[in-house]
Amino acid sequence: MKLYIKLITLFTVSIFLSCEDVIDVDLQTAPERLVIEASIDWEKGTSGNNQTIKLSTSSAYFAESQNTPVTNAAVKVTNTNTLEEFIFTNENNGNYTTTNFTPIVGNTYSLEVIYNSEIYSATETLQAVTDITRIEQSTEKGFDDEALEVSVYFVDPEEEKNYYLFKFKQDGDLLFELEAGDDEFINGNEVDWWFEKDEEDDQGEFNAGDRVEMEMYGVSEAYYNYINTLIIQSEGVGLFATTPVALKGNCINLTTEDNYAHGYFRLTQVVTADYTFE
Amino acid sequence: MKKLGILFLFFSFLGSAQENFTLNGTITDASNGETLFGASVFLEGTSIGTITNEYGFYSITAPKGNYNLLISYVGYLDIQQQITLNQNQKINFEIKEYATQLEEVVLTADEKEHVNIRKPEMSVNKLNIKTVKRMPVVLGEVDIIKSLQMLPGVTNNGEGSGGFNVRGGAADQNLVLLDEAIIYNTSHMLGFFSVFNADAIKDIKLHKGGIPAKFGGRVSSVLDVRQKDGNSKKFAASGGIGLISSRLALEGPMFNKKGSFLVAGRSSYVNLFLAAANENNRVGFYDLNLKTHYNVNENNKLFLSGYFGRDKFKLGDTFGVTYGNASGNLRWNHIFNERLFSNFSLIYSRYDYDIGIQVADFNWVSSIDNYNAKYDFKYYLSDNFKLDFGASAIYYDFNPGAIIPTSEDSSVNEMQLDKKKALETALYINAEHKLTDKLTAQYGLRYSYFNRLGGQPLANYVNSQPVTYNSTLGIYERGEVVDETYYDSGESIATYNNLEPRASLAYELNENSSIKLGYSRAAQYIHLLSNTASVTPLDVWAPSGKYVKPQLSDQYAVGYFKNFKDEAYSLELETYYKTTDNRIDYIDGSDLIGNNTIETEILNGESRAYGLEVLFRKNTGKFTGWAAYTLSKSEQRTKDANAGGPGISNGEWYKTPYDRLHDVSITGSYKASDKWTFSTNFALQSGRPVTYPNGQYQYEGLSIASYSNRNSDRLPIYHRLDISATLTPNKKPNRRWKGEWVFGIYNVYNKKNAASISFGQNSTTGANEATRTAIFGMVPSATYNFKF
Repeated sequence: MKLYIKLITLFTVSIFLSCEDVIDVDLQTAPERLVIEASIDWEKGTSGNNQTIKLSTSSAYFAESQNTPVTNAAVKVTNTNTLEEFIFTNENNGNYTTTNFTPIVGNTYSLEVIYNSEIYSATETLQAVTDITRIEQSTEKGFDDEALEVSVYFVDPEEEKNYYLFKFKQDGDLLFELEAGDDEFINGNEVDWWFEKDEEDDQGEFNAGDRVEMEMYGVSEAYYNYINTLIIQSEGVGLFATTPVALKGNCINLTTEDNYAHGYFRLTQVVTADYTFE
Repeated sequence: MKKLGILFLFFSFLGSAQENFTLNGTITDASNGETLFGASVFLEGTSIGTITNEYGFYSITAPKGNYNLLISYVGYLDIQQQITLNQNQKINFEIKEYATQLEEVVLTADEKEHVNIRKPEMSVNKLNIKTVKRMPVVLGEVDIIKSLQMLPGVTNNGEGSGGFNVRGGAADQNLVLLDEAIIYNTSHMLGFFSVFNADAIKDIKLHKGGIPAKFGGRVSSVLDVRQKDGNSKKFAASGGIGLISSRLALEGPMFNKKGSFLVAGRSSYVNLFLAAANENNRVGFYDLNLKTHYNVNENNKLFLSGYFGRDKFKLGDTFGVTYGNASGNLRWNHIFNERLFSNFSLIYSRYDYDIGIQVADFNWVSSIDNYNAKYDFKYYLSDNFKLDFGASAIYYDFNPGAIIPTSEDSSVNEMQLDKKKALETALYINAEHKLTDKLTAQYGLRYSYFNRLGGQPLANYVNSQPVTYNSTLGIYERGEVVDETYYDSGESIATYNNLEPRASLAYELNENSSIKLGYSRAAQYIHLLSNTASVTPLDVWAPSGKYVKPQLSDQYAVGYFKNFKDEAYSLELETYYKTTDNRIDYIDGSDLIGNNTIETEILNGESRAYGLEVLFRKNTGKFTGWAAYTLSKSEQRTKDANAGGPGISNGEWYKTPYDRLHDVSITGSYKASDKWTFSTNFALQSGRPVTYPNGQYQYEGLSIASYSNRNSDRLPIYHRLDISATLTPNKKPNRRWKGEWVFGIYNVYNKKNAASISFGQNSTTGANEATRTAIFGMVPSATYNFKF
């Protein structure tokens, strides 16, 4: 998928006399919505007891202040298998935290958020992730066979369908690079997932001494569908890109159906690593 | 079928009404022996006349007597001849071009594309290849598809997008034929250039509606492009050197002047520049047109033609893409008798692509092949009654995609998506019937039958729902597969058949004006799967079947046609209303790439388009050209009947990407002297409907856009002016070599028309911004064309 997108983009842009510039555009503004970033990520090898859920509201696309935290909500997560409840504490900065969460792979959890007298709810199952077997650098992979890239190796479990979310960030970069993948064409194989930068990226191509943080998440099929669309759409919608669509997560509004929340309630296992180029 | 019986009775009555004699033959160009399509053959002082068919054949039937026969064809000198019609006879005519004969005639008569007010044929545009060659174009590369967009009702999705859109239809709803072979992708280099090499082309005819019964399989339009047969009089060469590509066409007589050949090639040479600039990327295209014909005898002619085109694109050693069309066609013209003309064709065509992803050691390939046999007859029953009838069968072989690992350590597994097969057959009959001196009708019926053949497994879904609606989350999801049914190659997965009536009526108000009415129904059994704003060369065709139904369209049109001042000016006004059933659209978040179960990504919808088209032409004089205006709408509604959800955009009508509220095109050519001709184009149209963000929110530390309803915004207004000048140096009458220079400027005032506007976060500042991609700014060009 990412090969395809990149290919099409390069296809269009690099051939001809095309030119790009930043312009002003008048946009429609949708009514404000609650945004629930409920990412219960359990780093392998830790207890997973400390968890944070972030609440905010949406704003106009070109709004000056992008982050508008919600500080007057109540947040609760319930393990529907064990019926254990986790009440998240309002930190009054948009963060709601707990220190006694118990993550269990395969258990299903439900989320309840009460905000402006409306009840938002979501349900999701905690997904496992396989281990990173090794990390290597090379130049042969990637789009440019002279640029350095880093490869994360892992063995895809053969017996089930697996969905992955990867996050990469070079020290000094502002934003994480997100990539999503499934095992449709690579089931059961040892996979190398590479990450490369080109001249157009923030700090240019990778050089020796650059340090990269990497995270690999095991995610559910539904979340994969969500995050994959989100990633594709956040890369811009050029001529050969898919028509962008309204993106709906799994947080529904039990009080007023149409007033669903943006964001997602996900429960994942994650492995993290870092690598310094030689 | 009962109706057909009555029709036949009717014909036999008409046929036996009078004792008549028939005159028939072919009309060719005196200089090169090319048959002429659309030349008029007329008995002066009567209303008896006809025009030549695609193969230059004519037949007219009149009562015994002496007549003055008048033959005329745009750009050619008229021929008048006394004939005594006392027996059936065959006369072939050769007519001469104006320009070559009378240099001093200022009239640029090759432009004289006046309206035929008498024929009921409507919603048709015929473009003269000479007009096309004179229009200013990007980088001087003559482009038939771009020229078509200067006509009312024809648009495309902007620069650098393939295909074209007719009357609010999608690009895959156009049947594009090159010498009768289906061309699946009309673009080179992603739409920058068309696959048609103007040096090899004789005629271009676009049916925007009122599609004749002999064509079928697409609901929007038919673009009928005919290759030259080749010069059967003498050896000739023509060609050109441009900025992007060079062309060479060779033609000449063969088989002791009983036939001819044509070989035309074209190749880009951007690669040379890239190599010189030490770039590792490659981009280029080439194509080859071949044709030969052989006159076996008076009544039998054989034609063999072929096309082969390829695009290549390479990014260093990491990726390569090649794609292209190939076609071959064997035709046999047979004249049974002076009134019955027939053509039998065997046609093969193919479109395929191959993406080599060397970084991951695999190739991705996909193709569509079709084998087509058709037999067409034209029966000139009487002056008042002409009949077309015939049959056609197309066998399709789809390979939607396969992964072929290229080395042992490829981390990608070998895979083959299910190959699909189908057979599309049709029978048709169509009459052109002069009811009175003022009233002419054309009516016909096409019966099409589509059989989606077995030889593949097919998934079955829970509740037979390939797409389900998750009412809790309010989203569409892929249906759950229960099991698979394997259909043997002898079995049918699904069959469909349709009766497609086509009718039109022309009423002559007076000698110079007429009103026409038209209705047509058309069925389309194969679909191009594309959820992107623009068609890409990597889109895949899919046949109708158990889950995807054939598209069915009905079009109604009314038109007013007028010639002024001895046909120096003409006006065409047309309005149309078109509906299409079973037009698919894609669920939010659809993924079509490498998908074996496309049915889980689509919802069945309908579309409608309506509009008003005005075309005003100046046909003669030093200045010729036209102004076209189209006011139109094109909308789609995707309520979903099966999955139980509200549909796309809550089941409301939304604009298709081909909706253009206003579209103005002006093109003109001024012959200043024998040496200089100046041409210009001006285009102005509403922007393409797009989906813009209507808000943002923070997620994963990123600013994520929320998008508004599908296609509820528009790109900014598009406008552009192009100019060109053609210099024909002093001709030395004795020299065979004739050269001309074409200098052009595309987009004179360097308007940065947005091909797309994309929204994203600046990676340094984190602020959201809108980025416009404009493909062509001002582009100057120079081309040298020659002939000898």
